[in-house]
Amino acid sequence: MLICDEYLTPTSLAEAFAAMEKNRGRYRVVAGCTDTLPWAREGRAGDVEIPALIDVTKIPELNERQVGDRRVRIGAATPIQRFLDDAALGRAMPAMPRCAVWFADDQIRAQATLGGNVVNASPAADATPCLEAHDAVVELASAQNGKIVKRSMPLRDFITGPGKTQLAEGELVTGFECDALAGFGGSFEKVGHRRSLVISVVCLAVMVKLDRDGRVIEDTRLAIAGIRPVPRRLREIEDLLRGKKLTGALLEEAADMPLDLVQSRSRQEYRRDVVRGFLVRGLIAASRRAGASPDALTQELEAAYG
Amino acid sequence: MVDIRLNATINGRKVSRDAKPHLRLLDFLRDDLNLTGNKEGCGAGECGTCSVFVDGMLVKSCLMPVAKAQGATVDTIESLAKSGELSVLQKAFHKAGASQCGYCIPGMVMAATAALRANPFADREEIKERLGGNICRCTGYQKIFDAVELARDVQNGRLPATALLETDTADGDVIGKSVRRIDAPSKVSGRLKYAGDMIMPGMLHVQVLRSPHAHARIVSIDTSAALAMEGVESVITSADVPGKDGFGVFVHDQPVMAHDKVRYVGEAVAAVAAEDALTAKRAVAAIKVVYEQLTPVFDPDVAMREGAAVVHDYAPDNITKHIPIRVGDVEAGFAESDLVIEENYSTQAIEHAYLEPEAGLAYVDHDDVVTVVSPSQNITHHRHMLARIIAKPISKVRFVMSPVGGGFGGKEDMIYQGMLALLAMKTMRPVRLVYTREESIISTAKRHPSRTNLRMGVMHDGRIKALAMRMVCDGGAYGLSTEGVMRKAAILAAGPYSIPNVRIDTYGIYTNNTPSGAFRSFGALQTQFATESHLDIIAERLGLDPFEIRRINAMRDGATTHTKQTLGSVSLMRALEAAEQASGWEAGAPAVRGETRGDLGHDDVRPSVTLGTRFAAGDTQEAAE
Ligand SMILES: Cc1cc2nc3c(=O)[nH]c(=O)nc-3n(C[C@H](O)[C@H](O)[C@H](O)COP(=O)(O)OP(=O)(O)OC[C@H]3O[C@@H](n4cnc5c(N)ncnc54)[C@H](O)[C@@H]3O)c2cc1C
Ligand code: FES
Ligand code: FES
Repeated sequence: MLICDEYLTPTSLAEAFAAMEKNRGRYRVVAGCTDTLPWAREGRAGDVEIPALIDVTKIPELNERQVGDRRVRIGAATPIQRFLDDAALGRAMPAMPRCAVWFADDQIRAQATLGGNVVNASPAADATPCLEAHDAVVELASAQNGKIVKRSMPLRDFITGPGKTQLAEGELVTGFECDALAGFGGSFEKVGHRRSLVISVVCLAVMVKLDRDGRVIEDTRLAIAGIRPVPRRLREIEDLLRGKKLTGALLEEAADMPLDLVQSRSRQEYRRDVVRGFLVRGLIAASRRAGASPDALTQELEAAYG
Repeated sequence: MVDIRLNATINGRKVSRDAKPHLRLLDFLRDDLNLTGNKEGCGAGECGTCSVFVDGMLVKSCLMPVAKAQGATVDTIESLAKSGELSVLQKAFHKAGASQCGYCIPGMVMAATAALRANPFADREEIKERLGGNICRCTGYQKIFDAVELARDVQNGRLPATALLETDTADGDVIGKSVRRIDAPSKVSGRLKYAGDMIMPGMLHVQVLRSPHAHARIVSIDTSAALAMEGVESVITSADVPGKDGFGVFVHDQPVMAHDKVRYVGEAVAAVAAEDALTAKRAVAAIKVVYEQLTPVFDPDVAMREGAAVVHDYAPDNITKHIPIRVGDVEAGFAESDLVIEENYSTQAIEHAYLEPEAGLAYVDHDDVVTVVSPSQNITHHRHMLARIIAKPISKVRFVMSPVGGGFGGKEDMIYQGMLALLAMKTMRPVRLVYTREESIISTAKRHPSRTNLRMGVMHDGRIKALAMRMVCDGGAYGLSTEGVMRKAAILAAGPYSIPNVRIDTYGIYTNNTPSGAFRSFGALQTQFATESHLDIIAERLGLDPFEIRRINAMRDGATTHTKQTLGSVSLMRALEAAEQASGWEAGAPAVRGETRGDLGHDDVRPSVTLGTRFAAGDTQEAAE
């Protein structure tokens, strides 16, 4: 049970930092609360008494979304559901709608925020491989001597381990800046014990951009999570694929690269098998959505991995 | 605490109220507004019994702090049936039989309402996807999906509204007909009150202190700090039991709260009644217990050995119950068999996971009748046991069975009703206890984990000559239903097969694990898992079809079971035939099947699960749009 003396809902960054300053050492930031409330239960943190809870979801800066031609900016309090509702956002981040549809369930993703997913830094956090594939930069803000000070750093530096980030005391994540990848086809592969409400055993974000004829891979982005302490970009595979003709053999070659990705403590062999299958399947799906020429991929390959 | 002044529109009415800042929207709706239609099945976002609309969007209200509802429009299950007239979806749930215990149903109806609002033409796959956040443990999902499809078609005019009504059945002609359940309207509307939904004026809230140790002597319990807290009415321990302490379905070996020693992690040690649940929780934390650790025993085979730690003094060998069955001469049977096959089997503990966590209410009425209201599956027995425990004549003890939000055997034991009765008697006020999901999992009975050694002697033609089985079950810290489970396990161990020579021994053993108790199938599962698996293995060895070996040995009308019961009629042959047909079974020994299985891949074989039906239309060339 999460017990507080005060629940504060600031409506500006300045108000939020004032509340954090006033309650220094005795507050906790919350957004959608979908990680925090289950955490404060028996068997995990148990009953937790925190004098002040500071809810950041009503701060305008944290709710903004700008979709540009080259970069996308997403406020930290954006609910995961927006990636399904906002078509422009979905086009600029083509793996994210697929990630969103597998994320928790229809109800939780209406509450769960992107910022919460990143700051919670679970190795199985589904949005993190997508953001990593977009070269996301984390925007941070804090107050010093009454002034709001901002800094930013790449997501891959921000998340340092399971549940660990570079978020400093008194700091908030305000948003994320990512590459806009409109024109890429996207896919998100995830496996767990059931269809909804499931923690990823493996999850993979794949984006592919093809030439006009749908035959040559012009660019691609891949990142994987659930199998190591932090998400990992798969640049080796991207380098192998970029500029090559799209063929089934090429995708299988990519999946067979000896990268030794699985660092989980449990079910390693299973995860290795899944990773291989996901790479092929994810690349096929993303290529198809990128407009792959119908004869580029053999039917057998699609049947085996579809 | 700084209260929140909450202004919101709830079920169409303006509400302006002070609320405690730590409340979740679910607490506020249920406890402060008495809107108990939506339930708390898990409190962790996993089950969907708490699903409500906030500004038109379905959310899990157990994951939402009440402050987030500031200025919002909130609609609960109570909003759907306007002045008692059920919505189309609610009527469809009624018609389709989509409610059994009913505990999940308000949440299901809400999720279904959201699904059809999002897409009035959603197909079955999309409905499944959109209802993915809601769990049902008893109806099964098919009828629920049927109901949503029915409502969709009525709403879209594809079916007439009369499709929601009862099909005409002549008076009394109900067998084999689909008849609407008479209790369904109360469930689909959320009006049915389960124990955790009930309130009484002046009611106190109960919380329980549980043992952190598996086996320890209680040296002392100091409740003074807890009792001194404002708002705390009473704290009880085993010392407060006025009569003969002890309950259980067969042996009365379990005290209402741990007496002298604790025997498993999660065992109740003390209980507090206070003005609100938070105060009771804090009081529980203030109780000081000094324990002296004892050596625990966790493995039933170890517990049976000489010199093992003893869980109950009355059973120095740790045997709760041993059921032996002997028919014919097993060794002679093995000697005349062509083949003797031996294997070991094991099954694990399983939690019932009914969606309604344990809850109960107790009070002493104007005639001094101690009354306990709870979803007990065995009230008459509980009443007799409680009378002895509280030293009252049976006429002064009453048990009321509240609607059971799923039991599956797990609510047969009188785990918490004793504490409620004692607190009601001490405080002379109504008291209520509602378990959290975690508490339910930690402290209540599980299905018996088992280890079975099985030998069978068979002839080349498949006839079974002899069966010898020894099963050891972990009964955990208390007896509960173990004796009955061991009996039924033994009685059904040889399956519905005529076997001339049988030796069966089932053992229920005390350990310091969570107690095992009644669970659907009541022991039959454990032994028959072994027997039926064994038959498949033997079929493979003999080159027989698994159906065939069962037919060869099947009991027929007039057969005598190995516990000497004569069976007038035996439907096994018909059941086998039906199973063979329904499964599209490909005849032959298991070993002769090749890589491709002719009996798979039929239209009615469930395809693997996918998500994203709502993308299906634009699956290709999305990027180019
Ligand atoms: C049943 C269930 C199913 C789930 N399924 C999935 C799933 O499929 N995939 C998945 O990835 N996750 C899943 N989750 C986890 C959770 O929903 C997500 O991680 C979610 O994105 C967390 O966001 P939130 O806003 O709810 O976080 P909160 O609980 O509000 O916050 C989480 C942490 O982030 C911090 N924080 C939040 N916002 C900020 C900010 N702006 N600045 C600084 N710190 C901040 C908080 O202090 C807290 O430590 C599931 C959870 C539940 C209960
Ligand atoms: S999801 Fe809220 S109570 Fe289970
Ligand atoms: S009817 Fe669904 S849980 Fe019982």
